[in-house]
Amino acid sequence: MSNKKILIVDDDPDMRLGLHIRLKANHYDVVFAADGMASIAEARKHMPDLIILDLGLPAGDGFSVMERLKANDSLALIPVIIVSARNRHANLERALKAGAMAFLQKPVDNAELLAVIRRALGEPAEPKKLAYLSEPNRRNLLF
Amino acid sequence: MKEKALQILLVEDNAGDARLLREMFSKEKPDSFELTHLLRMSDAVIHLAKGKTDIVLLDMGLPDGHGLDTVRRAHAAAPSVPLIVLTGLDDEALAAEAMKEGAQDYLIKGQIENRALPRALRHAIERHRMQSETEIIRMQQMQFKDEFLSHVSHELRSPLTAIYQFVTILLDRLAGDLNRDQGEYLEIVLKNVKQLQSMINDLLEVTRVQAGKLLIDLERTSIPDAVIYTVNTLQGAAAAKEIALRSDIEGQIPSVCADPTRLQQILVILVDNAIRFTPAGGTVSVQVRMLEEDPNFVVLKVSDSGHGISPDMTERIFERLFQSPDPALAGRKGLGLGLYICKELVTRQGGKIWATSAPGQGAVLSVTLPVFSLPNLIAPAFGGERRAQCPITLVVTEIGSETGWLSDEVRAEQSHWARDLLQQCLHSDLDVLLPKMSSTGAVELFFIVAITDDIGGEAITKRICGRLEDREHIQHPRLTYASTYRSIEAVSRKTNESTAAHLENVATKIQELINEEISSRMVRSEQ
Repeated sequence: MSNKKILIVDDDPDMRLGLHIRLKANHYDVVFAADGMASIAEARKHMPDLIILDLGLPAGDGFSVMERLKANDSLALIPVIIVSARNRHANLERALKAGAMAFLQKPVDNAELLAVIRRALGEPAEPKKLAYLSEPNRRNLLF
Repeated sequence: MKEKALQILLVEDNAGDARLLREMFSKEKPDSFELTHLLRMSDAVIHLAKGKTDIVLLDMGLPDGHGLDTVRRAHAAAPSVPLIVLTGLDDEALAAEAMKEGAQDYLIKGQIENRALPRALRHAIERHRMQSETEIIRMQQMQFKDEFLSHVSHELRSPLTAIYQFVTILLDRLAGDLNRDQGEYLEIVLKNVKQLQSMINDLLEVTRVQAGKLLIDLERTSIPDAVIYTVNTLQGAAAAKEIALRSDIEGQIPSVCADPTRLQQILVILVDNAIRFTPAGGTVSVQVRMLEEDPNFVVLKVSDSGHGISPDMTERIFERLFQSPDPALAGRKGLGLGLYICKELVTRQGGKIWATSAPGQGAVLSVTLPVFSLPNLIAPAFGGERRAQCPITLVVTEIGSETGWLSDEVRAEQSHWARDLLQQCLHSDLDVLLPKMSSTGAVELFFIVAITDDIGGEAITKRICGRLEDREHIQHPRLTYASTYRSIEAVSRKTNESTAAHLENVATKIQELINEEISSRMVRSEQ
């Protein structure tokens, strides 16, 4: 059984790297986009099982990305988790109305993030044993 | 440029008094003012609604109005128009009260100098204008502060996230093994990251408090559960300082009417503070009891064996940004907002919070919260003798999701707006929307106790369904909704039965119905 694929959309390279390491260790494959336009292109190309979306993006913020995702028949069904530094209180309603499954506020607790991901993917609740990255694999990380 | 004529409304039923007042304007330029004279309050309210009045001169002894009530009605009809009340010689106290209700000034009939009236009018208008401007500026400043804090906290979060991510990656050995010192030092970094995070959250919480935007959702809550959870969660922090942290719950503690998330927040702040201000090897205990002086409240006491608080500080510690001036207290990290937030949360849930202490003898932080009591909750709808025999209807509204709730957040958010919407469908003096009565089950259930019969029940459910249908929330995430009602036979009040006992009986019947409704849905979801 192949790993589930997660698309990470965030313009902060540190965030992308951090999430990559964490998600890979939890047996997920990861692809990336750094802005609004690229996110739609990458989503179409890879058809990920889940999208983790930041709100503060160049070339179309997170909400406009959501709009485009939900307007596209094949992409609309991909669950979206918003992970943002913006104020949760002020944005939650809008995020949920736009179709997001959850709104997690940065900095996100690792356990909480993974639990929400598992739920979004319909996986059982127990955490998996972490996969430790070996040297050569780490060097291959793009960011 | 010709100055616009001042539109004055004079509401005075005494012809003699009115004549005298009109005389006072005779010395003014005729087109500098326009006086409208009305005799009754009801006519005045209609005139004010037209919106052309610049200032109102109001007699407090009108035939269809009584004293302060006239002021309130006039103020309500035109809140942006300044008001001057006219009173008799012996009514000065009443006039002073009128100022509290919104009047700009008062004039004693028979004591007004000739040129004083027009001048008083102009001053009143000027004062009123300045007050409005000050208020606008204050609102603007608050908004600016909110936006500033929001922006700052937003900016601070991103670098904080990166630090957190990579420290945890290192600590989880995802980048290779660590020796003991490395692990230990990284734990220190992590601890401080969490401290920073909590400071940023506190900052935001405080702006919400001040903007009146604190969200509190009351429901039947168990304090002992919350205490046990908090003690378990903070056991590690206590152990790190070799502090004995324990809970002390005696007897059967009834549920309270509170917000469980906020209760947790309060407990964590209090216990965390206690741990921080207690030296190594000390004790912190969390005690739960019924309040001796008032069985309608449960009291929580968090005590520590720390340095204590001097008596003149025991009230000041709840002030915003207050930090202990005692230099001996190491590790007094934080912004000093915790207790301020606690006090706000406790008061908003109907309780009280206070500190008792003496230097060197530790401190006890006490919190009271109201017991969850259905009779108390429905009492407002039953106000007045005549309602004792009225029929009662229980309106049950359920909100569900076709595909199952996407997440707990979605559920909580929908529940919140549904609650707001239902509140708008009620008559606040006849109906009571109960706090959340059940936290299990696939659907969100809302109960309204209405003093009405079947016809009324029908009307309420129709109103609710109509409003729910309109809202886009429903169409969008595929929510389902239904609203039904059940009648409760009028519980006739026995002779000599006290109001309290009668309410208890009624409440018991209502609770029975509620339990039925809840279990019927549990059965349905299990099928």
